Amino acid sequence: MDKKDFFTIDLKRPLLRDGPNFLSHTVIVIGDIAYLRPTISSMMFCMIYVVVGSFLLSLATYLLIVSTKYDLVIFLGGFGIAITTFGISLIRPFLQRASFNKQLDIFNNHKDRDVKLHHITSLHINNKIIQRKHALSYPCFELNLLTAHGRRINVLNHNDQQQLQQDAQLLATFLGIELHDCRKEVML
Amino acid sequence: MKITRKLMYLFLFAFSTSALAEEMSSFGQTINNLSKAVDGFFNDYTGWFVGLIFKSVPIGDANFPIIVGWLLLAALIFTVYFGFIQFRRIGMAINIIKGKYTDPNSKEEGEVSHFQALTTALSGTVGLGNIAGVGAALAIGGPGATFWMIICGFLGMASKFCECTLGVKYRTVLPSGAISGGPMYYLSQGLSEKGLGGLGKALAIGFALMCILGALGGGNMFQANQAHAMLTYAFDVPSEYGVITGIVLASLVFSVIVGGMPSIASVTERVVPWMAGLYVGMSLIVIFVNLDQVGPAFAAIFDGAFTGAGVAGGFIGALIQGLKRATFSNEAGVGSAAIAHSAVKTKEPITEGLVSLLEPFIDTVVICTMTALVITIAGLNVTPFNGEGLTGVTLTAASFTETAGIFKYLLALAVVMFAFSTMISWSYYGLKAWTYLFGEGKTTELIFKIIFCIFVVIGATIQFGAVIDFSDAAIFAMSIFNIIGLYFLMPIVKKELKSFLARVESGEIKTYDNKDAK
Repeated sequence: MDKKDFFTIDLKRPLLRDGPNFLSHTVIVIGDIAYLRPTISSMMFCMIYVVVGSFLLSLATYLLIVSTKYDLVIFLGGFGIAITTFGISLIRPFLQRASFNKQLDIFNNHKDRDVKLHHITSLHINNKIIQRKHALSYPCFELNLLTAHGRRINVLNHNDQQQLQQDAQLLATFLGIELHDCRKEVML
Repeated sequence: MKITRKLMYLFLFAFSTSALAEEMSSFGQTINNLSKAVDGFFNDYTGWFVGLIFKSVPIGDANFPIIVGWLLLAALIFTVYFGFIQFRRIGMAINIIKGKYTDPNSKEEGEVSHFQALTTALSGTVGLGNIAGVGAALAIGGPGATFWMIICGFLGMASKFCECTLGVKYRTVLPSGAISGGPMYYLSQGLSEKGLGGLGKALAIGFALMCILGALGGGNMFQANQAHAMLTYAFDVPSEYGVITGIVLASLVFSVIVGGMPSIASVTERVVPWMAGLYVGMSLIVIFVNLDQVGPAFAAIFDGAFTGAGVAGGFIGALIQGLKRATFSNEAGVGSAAIAHSAVKTKEPITEGLVSLLEPFIDTVVICTMTALVITIAGLNVTPFNGEGLTGVTLTAASFTETAGIFKYLLALAVVMFAFSTMISWSYYGLKAWTYLFGEGKTTELIFKIIFCIFVVIGATIQFGAVIDFSDAAIFAMSIFNIIGLYFLMPIVKKELKSFLARVESGEIKTYDNKDAK
């Protein structure tokens, strides 16, 4: 790359297209570790899929034992597997707690490459409107971090603005970095 | 985890015992009694409402519901008032979708492409109205009902144009950033601008009340009911087990509308267009396999439209059924589409009105006709057309199965997905009406959402007759308040249209060729 080349990072651009219509995580600081804790309500909604999926799978198993309706068994079993898998895939990110560890000097979200805490330069709050094809739109907010190398990584993504601002401030204080409000007016 | 595993083993063990088989039999009896009780309750307590909305006048041998005439007259008036816009401006509507009036280099972040907009519009139009609704129309109105559905589809394009333009023009952005729009807003704000604030408020309240009932009826119970009917047909599931279908569907709906899970909504949005494509593909296969019967099928449709042979009330009977089911399917004049279209990203309300007028065409003129052809070709719908034989989704499914047995399984998959996505959409329409009446607030909204989920279970449990009567009545009742307002507000739409056309002509609104995109 030519040394004269430069690039700009649009800090007002949200990183994720989608987002939940509820509070998904809160920031908890214990000693030298700050981590994201999933809310009980969000876990419960994910569990609905696991329960419904397991019920359909059990029903399919029962029918397989007592009847010869194999088409219904396949239909129920298929739906059961799909819904259960979907539920597990929703729960997994909640169980893998993203954390900022001062002792190890690492931010680990189990998704992106680990980031050294001293490389994190600032935190930014972004906003967006989630538009649904078959439902009404709603606002959603992101807390993103910026590294010295220009990487932007999402930390929080939910629609509780007040809680997100509190958590962002808590995290900024914990990391000793600046917090910028990069919310913009969304043109409809 | 250990406790969960133990519970799972216990659950499976319990299921495999013969003692449980006996329990299941008594459970079936209980469910059957419950279904009958709920059905009876619905007949007793909603009968007056159904009777009021479908008050009829005798025309020939048939009783013509005044509400059907109301919708038909409105569509005719809008068609004439807007200068047959559905025929004269259909090219412009297609050009808007193709992006002719949008600068390709000024695409905002998050904005959907025109191809996406088109596929969204297409997928949104195919649903149980096209599958179960057409089955019900032909079972009672004979093949001739199809002709009147097509006519209603063409005329309904003008109604949809008018209401969707107003939906965008009078939408409101709430402090939270969410967009609210639809008849409640254009009736109150639009009429207030004309100095008819009191009337506007009254109409908006009336519409909101009916919208809540419509969301619980056509947008919920009808969907759940027909989803279970499809399972009964395809897999021989006893009809009294509708309560289980209802509970499973209600749980999933609950997780979306109460929890606001983005993932399931995204999955549904991605799957539904494929289901729509699957349905159209299956219809085309049936039509092409039986190409030699398409001519006679069309002949039966045209003959039946004017003779009404085998239909109670003759051709008027066929007309009534065609118009009722077409309105149920394309929702033109009902006002629900205006709620959905109001959230679109556009600076020109008229462009959304023009795009929306394509929906009744695709929904009713194209896809409903395809379903009607499949049913007519299969020949399972025979005289007398009194709805006592196969009807609704079972008639459609049986007709598809005549060509290939596997179609009933694919149709079952599509019907369940369509029912689910429609329930999600209508829950938002109902919620908007609910919050309009009772105000925004977590508790208020939660009450509606819980009521909505309860109605999913009720819909899947009760009989088809009670469901469809109540669903029809609620959806048609919405049109009473909506159309009164549209008559007052149509000059505003005409003014918007004139302004848009003048700006296009003068070059103020530029046209772009896709090649212009850098």
